[in-house]
Amino acid sequence: MSDAVPTTIIIYGLALAAYALLMTALNRRVGLVLLVAVGVLEILLLVLVGIIVARLAGGGRPSSVPTLVGYLIAAPLVPLIAGFWGAVERSRWGPAVIAVGGLVAAILMVRFHEIWPVIHV
Amino acid sequence: MSEPMAPPEQKASPPDSTRTGPGRLLVAVYGLFALSASARASVQIATKFHHAPVAYLLSAFAAVVYIIATVTLANGSPTARRIALVSCSVEFAGVLAVGTWSIVDPATFPDATVWSGYGSGYGFVPLVLPVFGLLWLRRFRRGRSTDR
Repeated sequence: MSDAVPTTIIIYGLALAAYALLMTALNRRVGLVLLVAVGVLEILLLVLVGIIVARLAGGGRPSSVPTLVGYLIAAPLVPLIAGFWGAVERSRWGPAVIAVGGLVAAILMVRFHEIWPVIHV
Repeated sequence: MSEPMAPPEQKASPPDSTRTGPGRLLVAVYGLFALSASARASVQIATKFHHAPVAYLLSAFAAVVYIIATVTLANGSPTARRIALVSCSVEFAGVLAVGTWSIVDPATFPDATVWSGYGSGYGFVPLVLPVFGLLWLRRFRRGRSTDR
C-alpha cells in the first residue's frame, strides 16, 4: 500500500509537468486547474512524508538520517514554492515553473529510494 | 480544462526585469540548484570531508555561485545584473573545467560534484543553465530603453 505512494508521485509529477509544459506551449498562464493540480501534488507529498516519518518512528534507519530529514523538509516545499512562483508570473512562463516542480517531485522519489531503499518506487 | 490565456508577449520591447517572463523559470531552476548544492555540500563537508576534499570544496564553491546567481537574477538591478553576468560566466567556466578535470583525473573525485562529467548526474542541467543565464542577461545589456 505505502509503496504505491512514491510511484503515484512519480507518475503524477511527470503528468503535471507534461500538462504544464503544454500550457506553456499554448501561451497560457497559471489558472485554477494548475493550482488545484499543484495542491494535489502537495497532498501526495505530505502523505509520503507521513509514511516515512512513521517508518522512522517504527525504528527503521536510513544510511544517512540528516539527508533524509533534509529531503523530508524540502519535499513538501516544492509544490508550495513552485505554485507561488508560477502563479505570480502572468505569462506562459508561470506553468513552466510548475513543470519544474512536477519534475523535481518525481526526481525526489528516486533520491528517497537511494537514501533509504525501503522506500520503493 | 485549460488555463487562461496569457496576455500577448511584447516582442518589440525589452523584458521588464530579470525575474519575470523566462527569468521566472531561470530564477526557479537557479534557486533549486542553490538549495540542493548547498545542502549537499554542507552534509558532505560536515560528515565525511576527508573522503573527497577536492570534490566537496568544489561542490561548496558551486553552491556559492548558484546562490549569487539566484539572488542577483531575482534582484535585477544594474549592479545585480553585472554580478549575475560574472557568476554565470564563472559557473560556465567552472562546469567546463571541473567536467574535464573529473574525466581526465577521476581519482581526485571519489565522490561526485555538481559539475562532475559536465553535470551528467543532474541531467546536464548545470551545463545548459549558465548558457541560458548568459543569453537572458544579454537582453538587458543596453539597459531597458533599447531592444537588441
